[in-house]
Amino acid sequence: MIHKLSRREFMERMGAGVVVASVPAVAAGCGEPLHTAPPPKVTPAPAAVPLGYFDRFGIDGAMLQRVLAKGLSQGGDFSEVFLQHKVSHWVGMEDGEVNRAYTTVALGAGIRVLKGDATGFAYCEDLAEPALIQAAGTAAAVANGPARAKPASLAAVEVKSAYHIEVPWTEVGIDQKLPIIRSANELARARDKRVIKTTIYLSDETSRILVADSEGRLLEDDQPMGVLSVRCVAEQDGKTETSHRSTSARDGLTYFTPQVIQQVAHEAVDFTTLLFDAVEPPVGKLPVVLATGITGILLHEAIGHGMEADFNRKGVSVFADRIGKRVSSDHVTIIDDGTNPKMRGSINIDDEGTRGQRTVLVEQGILQSYMHDRISAQHYKTDCTGSGRRQSFRFPPVPRMRNTYMLDGPHKPEEVIASVDKGLYAEVFSNGQVSIGPGDFTFYLKHGRLIEDGKLTRVVKDANLIGNGPEVLDTIDMVADDMAMYSGAGYCGKDGQQIPVGFGLPTVRAGAISIGGRTS
Amino acid sequence: MSSAVLDQARAAAAAAKKRGAGDVRVSVYRTRGSRTEWRDGKLDRLRQSTRMGLSVTLYVDGRYSSNATNDLRPAAVDSFLDECIAGTRVLAQDPHRHLPDPARYAGRFTGDLQILDEASAQAVTAADRQRTAQAIERAARSGPGADRIISVTTSCSDRLGESAMVTSNGMEGTRRVTSFSIFAETSIRGEEGRKPEGWRYATSCHRAKLPSLDSIGQEATRRAMANLGAKPEPSGEYPCIIENVVTSRLLRGLFRPLYGNAIQQKRSFLADKLGQAIASPLLTITDDPLLPGGLGSGTYDGEGMATVARKVIHQGVLRSFFIDTYYGSKLGKEPTTGSTSNLVFSPGDKDLTQLLAAMSRGILITGFSGGNSNPATGDFSVGVRGQWIEDGKPVRPISGMNLAGNHLTFWNQLRELGSDPYAYSTIRCPSLRFDAVQFSGK
Repeated sequence: MIHKLSRREFMERMGAGVVVASVPAVAAGCGEPLHTAPPPKVTPAPAAVPLGYFDRFGIDGAMLQRVLAKGLSQGGDFSEVFLQHKVSHWVGMEDGEVNRAYTTVALGAGIRVLKGDATGFAYCEDLAEPALIQAAGTAAAVANGPARAKPASLAAVEVKSAYHIEVPWTEVGIDQKLPIIRSANELARARDKRVIKTTIYLSDETSRILVADSEGRLLEDDQPMGVLSVRCVAEQDGKTETSHRSTSARDGLTYFTPQVIQQVAHEAVDFTTLLFDAVEPPVGKLPVVLATGITGILLHEAIGHGMEADFNRKGVSVFADRIGKRVSSDHVTIIDDGTNPKMRGSINIDDEGTRGQRTVLVEQGILQSYMHDRISAQHYKTDCTGSGRRQSFRFPPVPRMRNTYMLDGPHKPEEVIASVDKGLYAEVFSNGQVSIGPGDFTFYLKHGRLIEDGKLTRVVKDANLIGNGPEVLDTIDMVADDMAMYSGAGYCGKDGQQIPVGFGLPTVRAGAISIGGRTS
Repeated sequence: MSSAVLDQARAAAAAAKKRGAGDVRVSVYRTRGSRTEWRDGKLDRLRQSTRMGLSVTLYVDGRYSSNATNDLRPAAVDSFLDECIAGTRVLAQDPHRHLPDPARYAGRFTGDLQILDEASAQAVTAADRQRTAQAIERAARSGPGADRIISVTTSCSDRLGESAMVTSNGMEGTRRVTSFSIFAETSIRGEEGRKPEGWRYATSCHRAKLPSLDSIGQEATRRAMANLGAKPEPSGEYPCIIENVVTSRLLRGLFRPLYGNAIQQKRSFLADKLGQAIASPLLTITDDPLLPGGLGSGTYDGEGMATVARKVIHQGVLRSFFIDTYYGSKLGKEPTTGSTSNLVFSPGDKDLTQLLAAMSRGILITGFSGGNSNPATGDFSVGVRGQWIEDGKPVRPISGMNLAGNHLTFWNQLRELGSDPYAYSTIRCPSLRFDAVQFSGK
């Protein structure tokens, strides 16, 4: 779900040192194909996130207060300290051996000062007070007058966790990860003799964050993440094909049950070998039926980014000034949600300390709400929606999506497919992109099937689909009752920042979309 | 400052050895960056950063791991190394993992790569950045279409980075580099609620080599205006020209399969094409890490091997892969280098206007959207926007179309390269003119 073409390319051109795609299996843009699973039904009792993690780095309330005061020293309206300590591990198998591992530790502070809509931002990678004060002084320069306010006294706000895990990843050794990787490999190899290569990795992340601001709020969160990815190469009659699957959750080692491992391994194989049967995708416009799960990229690109309030505040989104207006049929209700238990895009609090929540973007076809961070909520004189997210302490937050999905509609998936004479059934997308202003978006079809006379027939692969967000939304006229969330390692890029996101979709019918096929 | 990062790298390498690593490669970096973002007559965001960190590649008992931290408190570095070394011991042995042959460190270029403009980096102030961003906005609002403008965002940024690398088999190196960037993006009121946008960006190691602020601002607005009323054309096979500034999206799909990992893992449609024609004889591409002022220039690569220029494609024939020490060992091939540096194209003699005249009728691609390429087969498909060309002149804007093909046939359709290699990227590609290729549209 690459955001804005322009900004992304801008960042890529900045050369070495700039973070681009972080998921090795993905070529360009956002997204990544994964298996789908129903949303978790059982909500565990939330546990409060313990406070005081950053004590070990010499951080205390009085010091944070001094840093916040320095931030306001030139007349800023608001100051904020964001601390992060993130430990990431990656263990991988290639050619049958688990013989490579990567560990990354990132520690630092991002300090932000707001003056009206303007942002001063500086970060440092040293949590000693002089470094923090210096960064606060830099950020303070967004304003240029005498201090007008003092920070309020800090008071801790309790954060209930929807993704508490008993054993943090930082206490899980590589030896405990090996059986999962080996099991995925054996399952993939046993699935089909045509598999000649597998590349498998298990990665995890433990991110501890602290947000303290001049309004006196002090919050901490502990954000875990696990990812298992299986890539296959298969050979048949001298031809090779490749595809992959991953699964991801804000959860610990216990997430990777035998069932989860088997599903990822088998789907990685199946999605590779079916490509041998593929015919060339069609050229030109055809009606499209979207299968469930990863196809939720449609929502992310066609409407999600355009509903991020920063683009609307600046007036540059195709959805600016459309709140309260009809954008799709009655069957269409679209949610952006940070509260799904343990889901990849879920957040207890956003990166400005606003509680994670569920935001209705479209209700029965009517545009309801943008996604707001602090700046845009202030601009629109409304509440934050808990959408202020950032890749890390090195970035200021901007409005972002979390888990974006469409609720079930009245139709049955079979009747949706049967309603199309000649069309495309889109099953797995790998990436997408949108231009916010015109609303033109693309998604890349890794594989799908043709619909002929209302039936699914031949496999097609490797075609870019391009449409206009408002136009495509307007044509969604059938929505089935089989919504499934995509459980894979999806991510989204915007403003040069990559963050984990989720999406989901029931089977839906859209109007004609242009398909970038090849004539054979 | 270079000596400070070099000392840190030496110390970390020694500590890793002492704590049990057999061999080790350490890189230490420190970067200072500033950016001013300006929007619609007001300061939008001021950003400043100081980054530092170290990465440690460990070879322990025939096992391998690669690790990075920016928590440089001495005790934290020690426990980081201990944890990483212990973790490495749990992995399977891998006989192909080893540091490069020390002979590959030798013969490093000793001249001036012209990638450092320290005086400008030290001299630039926050006020300078703001004045620059303001001037770019003025330019964006000065040309035709100013009355349609919804918003203009501009930015000015600079960065000074230094890094050092040390290996336990004798390599030591340092690098200092600056970069300066300017940017403009214009959004305008279009038809039916659409808001076409255009942008322009340039980055250079030398501040004085950036294009004029006027050209950046005016070009952003010109490109937004050029997209006004864009619509798809009917599907069909049309000749096309890809504008120099956007070629990288397509080239990525051609270059990714040239990497050792893709070849060894059988995810490369080019694995068996060395020495064969894969493109029009007009296409010659050199990977040149010693290009003066190149954004990807350096005297040693990511493993510390001394860099040299290499022909990747010569007159359409594939001449070289990108193979690091590890995949070289796995493939039984001599390593080249692990990744691209600057890609330099042999240019033609026509500018874009003359190329358009030569094409006469077809599509000028000025932007890509989404898309991907299958590394195993070479099939690609990507969204495009641009202009429909008649009699060598743009007559109407297009959007909502896809370009699709297979790299093995697509590059044989190349008819001409322009004289306009894009100077502000590691990919110095000129505009490219192709014979009929497949587009899908309305």
